[in-house]
Amino acid sequence: MEQAPELDASLVREVLAGNQASFQLLVERYQARLFGLTRHYTRNAVEIEDIVQDTFLKAYSRLPSFQHQSSFYTWLYRIATNTILDFLKRKGRSPIHAVEDPEAATLEAPGQGIVRPDARLEREEIVEITHEVLRELPEIFRTVLIMREFEDLAYQEIADTLGISIGTVESRLFRARARFKQKLIQMYPDFAQA
Amino acid sequence: MDCREARPLVPGYLDGELSEAQAAPLRKHLLACPGCRSITQAGKTIASWFVDEGPVEIPAGFAARVARRALAGDTGERWAAPLEADGDLGLRGFVLQLTAVAAALVIALSIGFRTMSLPRTDDLRADDFSLESALEALDEMNREPLGEPSTSKADESPELTEADEEGRRE
Ligand SMILES: [Zn+2]
Repeated sequence: MEQAPELDASLVREVLAGNQASFQLLVERYQARLFGLTRHYTRNAVEIEDIVQDTFLKAYSRLPSFQHQSSFYTWLYRIATNTILDFLKRKGRSPIHAVEDPEAATLEAPGQGIVRPDARLEREEIVEITHEVLRELPEIFRTVLIMREFEDLAYQEIADTLGISIGTVESRLFRARARFKQKLIQMYPDFAQA
Repeated sequence: MDCREARPLVPGYLDGELSEAQAAPLRKHLLACPGCRSITQAGKTIASWFVDEGPVEIPAGFAARVARRALAGDTGERWAAPLEADGDLGLRGFVLQLTAVAAALVIALSIGFRTMSLPRTDDLRADDFSLESALEALDEMNREPLGEPSTSKADESPELTEADEEGRRE
């Protein structure tokens, strides 16, 4: 997640010293990443914009409490994740989408394999299917999968963001992947390994 | 290294989380062991479903707009205003929720009350601490009758304390 931390640190100092233009620069530096992050959680463009905007506004108002102990982006990422989850909660993410069938829980072992998608599908189709499957997973699993598989965060970064141990990241990721595969097969039996 | 030692290392290996001292013997084992090799291959398959979506479209003037709002004192806390601290905003949001769909009355109420009881997230410390509970609250809200596998409680409850401590350290 590190990216030119010295530049960020100096921009942060400038904002705190009253230079508003520097805040806009920080937004410009990270807006693409936050839009990218947020669209893993909702596909609605208006919602995405609202969430990213609120993330930056919160960052601005909390900037005096930023301690430079993590990178600015790590700090921002945490606010973003919190804002996203808060938003989903207010919205009352449909229980129907999160319901799992009773057999699912017993099939925790990564028994059934899945096939690779690339041979048969366009990129957009893969994205659609993957997000469709992710929407069906409990939030604790969906979040680690997004952080690890889409955002490429290291275990330590996931642990820091969620405030959990590395051991929990590992076990949760393991279960999340098993659940993803299982749900994919359930929704699209064609992708089960023969 | 035998299969029993090798298999638990495979996910960390695929995620690039092993030290060279751990990865080297595993690689050697994988070369020799078709069983573990196929498990490793299967592990790679899931990543192939998480493809890059391509560039995002950012609305024109977004950064300038956000900067203006920030300067105007908008703290972005519209969703997090607790009733006692900001009765007006919080109440209005609450009432809107109630009147939006009459049929959703009971649901809206329960969401509203859950919301009120959550800790206010107004600094980084609160962020650190509440993220995990926010996740749990979401899943709790969407809880299927069967619940999570029985391991989840034992496996996760100690970390809450740890998160708490981590939060305090920062
Ligand atoms: Zn082996």
